[in-house]
Amino acid sequence: MTAFTYYPGCSLESTASEYDASVRAVFKALQVELNEIEDWNCCGATSAHSLDPLLALALPTRNISLAQAAGKDIVMPCAACFNRHKTADYELRHDPQKRAQLEQIIGFTYQGNIAVRPILDVIVTQIGLKSVAERVVRPLRGLKAVGYYGCLLVRPPRVTQFENPENPQWMNQLISVLGAEAVPWSYATECCGGGLTLTKSDIAARLVSNLADHAREAGAQTIVTSCPLCQLNLEMRQREDPKMPIFYFTELIGLAFNLTEASGWWKKHLINPLPLLDEVLTQKG
Amino acid sequence: MTDTIGENNKKPIGAVMVIGAGIGGMQASLDLAEAGFKVYLVESSPAIGGTMAQLDKTFPTNDCAMCIMSPKLVEVGRHLNIEILTTSEVIGVEGEAGDFRAKVKRKPRYVKLDACTGCGDCATACPVPRLDLFNGDLSLRKAIYKPYPQAIPNAYAIEKQGMSPCRNACPINQRAQGYVALVREGRYLDAYRTIKEDNPFPSVCGRVCNHRCEDACSLNQVSEPVNIMALKRFVTDWVWSKMDHGELDPQAVKWHEVQTDTRHKNVAVVGAGPAGLTCALDLRRLGYAVTVFEALPVAGGMMRVGVPQYRLPYELVQREVDEILAEGVELRLNSPVKDVPGLLEQGYDAVFVAVGAHGGIKLPIPGVDLPQVLVATDFLRQVSLSATEDLDQFIKGKRVLVLGGGNVAIDAAMSAIRLGASWVGMSCLESRETMPAHDWEIRDAQDEGIEVFPSRTFKEIAQDNGKVTGVRCTQINFRGFVDGRPDFDEITGTEEIIAADTVIFAIGQRPQVECLQGKVEMVRGRFPHVDEETLATNVPGIFAGGDVVTGTSFIVNAIAAGHRAATSIDRFLQGKPLKSELQRPPLVQLSELEIQQRAITAAQDYHIRHDTKQRPAAERKHDFAEVYLGLSEEEARAEASRCLGCGICSECLQCVYTCRANAIDHNQVETIEEIPVGAILLTPGVEPMDGSIRPEYGYGRYANVVTSIQFERMLSASGPFSGVVQRPSDAAHPRKIAWIQCVGSRDISCDQGYCSSVCCMYATKEAIIAMEHDSNIQATIFYMDIRAFGKGFDAYITRAEKENGVRYIRSMVSSVKEVPRSKNLRVNYVTFTAEGKPIPQEEEFDLVVLSVGLKPSSAAIETAHRLGIRVNEFGFAEAPLYHPAQTNREGFYVAGAFSEPKDIPETVIEASCAAAQASALLAGGRGTLTRQAVYPPERDVSQEEPRVGVFVCHCGINIGGVVDVPDVVEFAKTLPNVAYAERNLYTCSQDTQQKITAKIREHGLNRVVVASCTPRTHEPLFQDTIRQAGLNPHLFELANIREQDAWVHRATPQIATEKAKELVAMAVAKARRLKPIKRGTFEISHQALVIGGGLAGLTAAQSIAQQGFPVYLVEREAELGGNLRHIFVGVDGSNPQAVLSELIHQVRSDPRISVFTESEVLDIHGYVGQYVSTICHKDGSREEIPHGAIVVASGAREIPTRLYGYGEMAGVISQRELEAELMNGTTLPQRVVMIQCVDSRDDDHPYCSRICCTQAIKNALEIKRRSPQSEVVILYRDIRSYGFRERLYQEARQNGVIFVQFDPQTPPKVKQGTSTLEVEVLSQPEQEWLKFESERVVLSIGVEAQPGNEALSQLLKLPLTAEGFFLEAHVKLRPVDFAADGVYLCGLAHSPRAMDETIAQAKAAAIRAVALLAKKELTATPIIASVNPRLCSACGLCVEVCPYGARRLEAGAAYAEVVAVLCQGCGACVVACPNKASQQLGFEFLQIAEMIDSAIA
Repeated sequence: MTAFTYYPGCSLESTASEYDASVRAVFKALQVELNEIEDWNCCGATSAHSLDPLLALALPTRNISLAQAAGKDIVMPCAACFNRHKTADYELRHDPQKRAQLEQIIGFTYQGNIAVRPILDVIVTQIGLKSVAERVVRPLRGLKAVGYYGCLLVRPPRVTQFENPENPQWMNQLISVLGAEAVPWSYATECCGGGLTLTKSDIAARLVSNLADHAREAGAQTIVTSCPLCQLNLEMRQREDPKMPIFYFTELIGLAFNLTEASGWWKKHLINPLPLLDEVLTQKG
Repeated sequence: MTDTIGENNKKPIGAVMVIGAGIGGMQASLDLAEAGFKVYLVESSPAIGGTMAQLDKTFPTNDCAMCIMSPKLVEVGRHLNIEILTTSEVIGVEGEAGDFRAKVKRKPRYVKLDACTGCGDCATACPVPRLDLFNGDLSLRKAIYKPYPQAIPNAYAIEKQGMSPCRNACPINQRAQGYVALVREGRYLDAYRTIKEDNPFPSVCGRVCNHRCEDACSLNQVSEPVNIMALKRFVTDWVWSKMDHGELDPQAVKWHEVQTDTRHKNVAVVGAGPAGLTCALDLRRLGYAVTVFEALPVAGGMMRVGVPQYRLPYELVQREVDEILAEGVELRLNSPVKDVPGLLEQGYDAVFVAVGAHGGIKLPIPGVDLPQVLVATDFLRQVSLSATEDLDQFIKGKRVLVLGGGNVAIDAAMSAIRLGASWVGMSCLESRETMPAHDWEIRDAQDEGIEVFPSRTFKEIAQDNGKVTGVRCTQINFRGFVDGRPDFDEITGTEEIIAADTVIFAIGQRPQVECLQGKVEMVRGRFPHVDEETLATNVPGIFAGGDVVTGTSFIVNAIAAGHRAATSIDRFLQGKPLKSELQRPPLVQLSELEIQQRAITAAQDYHIRHDTKQRPAAERKHDFAEVYLGLSEEEARAEASRCLGCGICSECLQCVYTCRANAIDHNQVETIEEIPVGAILLTPGVEPMDGSIRPEYGYGRYANVVTSIQFERMLSASGPFSGVVQRPSDAAHPRKIAWIQCVGSRDISCDQGYCSSVCCMYATKEAIIAMEHDSNIQATIFYMDIRAFGKGFDAYITRAEKENGVRYIRSMVSSVKEVPRSKNLRVNYVTFTAEGKPIPQEEEFDLVVLSVGLKPSSAAIETAHRLGIRVNEFGFAEAPLYHPAQTNREGFYVAGAFSEPKDIPETVIEASCAAAQASALLAGGRGTLTRQAVYPPERDVSQEEPRVGVFVCHCGINIGGVVDVPDVVEFAKTLPNVAYAERNLYTCSQDTQQKITAKIREHGLNRVVVASCTPRTHEPLFQDTIRQAGLNPHLFELANIREQDAWVHRATPQIATEKAKELVAMAVAKARRLKPIKRGTFEISHQALVIGGGLAGLTAAQSIAQQGFPVYLVEREAELGGNLRHIFVGVDGSNPQAVLSELIHQVRSDPRISVFTESEVLDIHGYVGQYVSTICHKDGSREEIPHGAIVVASGAREIPTRLYGYGEMAGVISQRELEAELMNGTTLPQRVVMIQCVDSRDDDHPYCSRICCTQAIKNALEIKRRSPQSEVVILYRDIRSYGFRERLYQEARQNGVIFVQFDPQTPPKVKQGTSTLEVEVLSQPEQEWLKFESERVVLSIGVEAQPGNEALSQLLKLPLTAEGFFLEAHVKLRPVDFAADGVYLCGLAHSPRAMDETIAQAKAAAIRAVALLAKKELTATPIIASVNPRLCSACGLCVEVCPYGARRLEAGAAYAEVVAVLCQGCGACVVACPNKASQQLGFEFLQIAEMIDSAIA
């Protein structure tokens, strides 16, 4: 059985616990093992990365050192966590001086034999869309969705090495495999303003409205995300009614797999997705 | 580096290879060929023309690119000393300068150039559509194609990647991709023909083939293979059903005429199975008499008696056999041959033994001889010969057990079920998984109730009193066969008896080979031994193939053996060696990525395979009617559209069937040619950058984002939308169009840190032309700097902005988004308010054009690597600063955009420059390899009555399909003076030229009319032909009944025929009046005069001299060197003065150059080839010198400015003065402000002086280099660091040079401060007043024309621009010529330009002059004006209108003359003449009048 080292990150223990639940449920259904790192620490995405450059690298490096010991690729659902860890891994790989420094701080020897990967990448490229398709028992026919990556998953491309960073396709492919309609739009990698949602909420609200408007304009009923901050921000800062529910892509997979756990996830959403799900899924089921 | 070789040793080779046939390659070829060298023009694509052929219009004159290039195409195509090698590439060059051997890989074109007439019928027939790259992938073409209508060579080419895997896998190389493509197109009859080409048994193979094609199908990698077998069956079913219903004439499938015994040889074929009959048919078609001997009462072999008819209906086999017999093969049934070698004695010249393997085998176990134990082959044969009554006793109501696990066993078991067995079982050695029968076959059998007992070994046939009761067997672990013996362990305790009344052995078959009489060598005593390739046995004349050799095998293998035997027998009978050396095309192997991409483009639902359905088991098991049903037409076409078209060309042969000129040859293979040449020019050009280089603009994902090259095609009348500007998404007419500049240019983020030089101009041109096409269009151009640095460019931009209303926005677009439904585009950019506040903008456009940059193609870079030519970090073969067009390898030159992005005139100049250097290098070999046309003496026809011959062309079906050509010929015969008329399939083909020559002699013709296509391309050909026949070439007239008739009146053939007759009548009417035109020849004075001793003049003089011709160099001043004397820093940091003094030294010491300083040209008279100039020397003495050519290199000067306190304030200096200071000064100014565009780009000087930006940056860098802490500020309007100069600009910014943009409306202010100068500037776009204190204010002062140009222009009768520079003949294609021949232009006299550009231009002018001087004599243009002195009243109107100075009226003369050598035949004087005294030769009044009379008669 395939297995990965799992780094949930702080959001997934709190505001995005339904993301964590859906990730775990989906991996179980796909029979892929997730081994959570024991004693993982903060990735530094909140304040460390802008206050102390060395700490910003050292924090994720410690997690990488723990994962290295386990010998499996380290996967993470949160885009910000991914970005921090990937950046640290990039520096470890490309800057010998920094590596020496970090190795000394953490007390380990970097081997570079494991990769830092977002959950989306693992599901699409390693587990494979075919395996996902085979497991779909309740195709999400009738649901029109736009795939949304936000910024931290894809940028900077030199570091993230993300597929086709200006026009990524994984999310759309996944949405299609689940039986829903992946509606094309041009805003999949625009910023949602999540980083400013508390400090400059008017800017965040404007950016969110833009995204929601463009999604609606494209004919979508929902925006599918892979980042806890995007999901929260997109739900919290929407102004126009009717508000559009925002899903984690793993939640949609869970739905299409008809996982019983799914019903427990919705209560964590700020915008109730049930009316939409009822409308779409009961109609065409 | 030597400039000329061969002076002391052996002569250099007088031939040059030019690699790349764009406009640069064409120009270089023409220059060299005219200058006396043989040229090999190597081009990788099927046609010459390059990128320019794709362009719509050209800036800044808005000329049609194709219109101005087309004559050059034709000139190159017809030049006697230019050999065009298309679809070729140079793979290596050995030797040294002057003596190279170039290896050229000639890739197959699959179309014979000498036979193809370019009619295009093949493309109509071709079923393979391809995206048309020439049209920017916006339209489709076919796999056989001509890149564009005007292409030279005017011939088609096939795009073929190789043999498709399906065809390659098939033993008979059945053209599967071919017929699949035809099915997709709904062309089933054509598909049938393609199938029958290789397979006489398609309905058989459409049913029972093992279809290795499908196993090899590339789709297997991503889905299931194309159901090729079902498609084959569909085609045969369709054709036969149409025939049966009377909807298709049986004659329509008779593609082969019945042959007679042309070879007078007899061949015997023994066995009428698939191998024998195939061989018989092939040999029959070759003209042999063939007799087939068959032992059975029916033909078809195993197809007929081995395969049950529920799988393969008998009548189908019979039908296909009958078709073979209908071609004249003799079949003798019931005729077993007992003695094969005896046939040779009976008079057969060869024998093919194809008796198959019909002998059944039983296992050697007890009980096998019982009557109820049968053998499958015999059983199936009996079934098929309808002898089923005899079998009833064994089968009907009985339990039947078949032993064996292959297809024959299945056939036997299923036949038994159908004959009424109560129970049928099968048992075999192999496990269920490893049974040789296909899995689906076994499942079908099980569906019909057949029980399978795998993994068993048989001990005995159990019996009860001579009656079979079953088979005793044991279960085993079967591991396979070792040395032909089964390898297994028995499983103890599993012995059992499978109860049965009848046992049928189906464990293999053997050939019956007694007929060979032991004379043929055998393998294992069972099979005749043959050579695998030739099928020859050890007995000469006896061949064997099919099952008799291989044991039981598939039908298609037998057919393959038949073909192979026929080939061998043919070779044997012709006495040729049996083995042939035919090369096979390479197999196509697509990568997985390619397969995925093709799958997606081929069909949306490529993953759904259409399988044939079968009748339900319960129904089908009771009869022998066919089990499998065919595909419906809809299914078949859907299935066919899944094909990925691996080979691109499907090899369906439709082109071969259609081409009446027999020009197609699919068997061409790649060859390598070694060509000796003295020098090599690389002109491979560049290609547009992929629009997706900046993915945020959405190219490739938003339908309405196109690249500039696509937009060129959209504008072009011959483009995908016929010149209508429309959106790709919905064909709507766009109103708002945005151009985004610098896509892949000036962009280090995508490693393209250079400026592509041409995009600002072409975007402006595209905007103007688009607005001209559709006045509703509003054009917006988003740019960083407008780089309009060329001659007339700034005025063009100003016109675009002011007159056409093009909106220019200085802003880099950050992203483009697509509006979902409308597919409009949202363009995001930033503007600034009047206060300088930035505002993000989002504006919607209907169409976005990406002004993509230029880069060398990867193929060009690869070629450079292979040839050892160094390229820079961007892949360009950058030339050294003072040696444009040179490379690191001696004898190799590079020109055009491949050395740096550049526009057409710069490319043409550099091409000529490269040619000049090759010409100098090889001067000793000039004229050694060129040839001249040799003609018989001209016949004097002046005393003859006109005898007109008329040749009317079918042009394949181009004309013949519309116009009734025979009718036109009959009509032509009735016209007065027509002595002969005939029609030709292709009048332009090689053989028709010989025919025309013969007819001229035979019928004493003295005028020839051809009615065919356009005179533009074909008139010279026919003129040449009649000249070969001894007629003056001008006794020819062409009637265009294609472009002007057949093509435009396709719908109304009758009217088209009438019009053709009228056109022919008009042509004949004129032809009757045609007179021979004599071309005048003139002597040449083989020296040149160069006016001006600056860099341009010096370089031109030196180049002409190096090419072997004496030069007079005249300079007004005392010192040579001109403006270059004031330049002290090169862009590479070098000191140009060293280069200059070396150049002056060389010129002065060259004995071929006479230098006159402090001298002036007082007077020039004469004309091209024969000038005499009067030179006035310093001492006032005068000298007359004769020369054939003139190079004007009179230079230009720095404007004596008064701006910014120049000349008043001490610290305000010019860039030149700064350079002098940098050169000599000991202290370096620490604070410097430079001001650009001083007396440049203003109302008085509405042009860019081109050199100042680079000069300023270069000097700024020099200061920074020496003193990094200094402050250097450049105040500019646009930075015009085009090409690789952009790197300098980057370097300057990196080194801290401060660039501040200003608006010319508020120019900087310079004041004298207390100790320093104070400069204030309003910075753009921030609108902030900045103040700099500075030690020096350096002015970048513009360039203006020499005041003396006026006088020189009058002396030479040459035109000037409004700005006083000399005006070349054509800004694009004749940049160093004047309209008048013999005078050439270079250097600043032409326009402001940099040092390297001046050198290039000077050398270009030099070879243009040499091309003239190298001629022995000059020949005047034939179609010129002439004067009838008796009618001329000497009014002088003709002299006034002549733009070439070719009309002359001497004072007091009675009539005006024509200077034949100057006349260009424009006809202006003819129109102006009131007395009809001036006549245009070849278009004289009477000739035209007769035409008109004929037209209105």
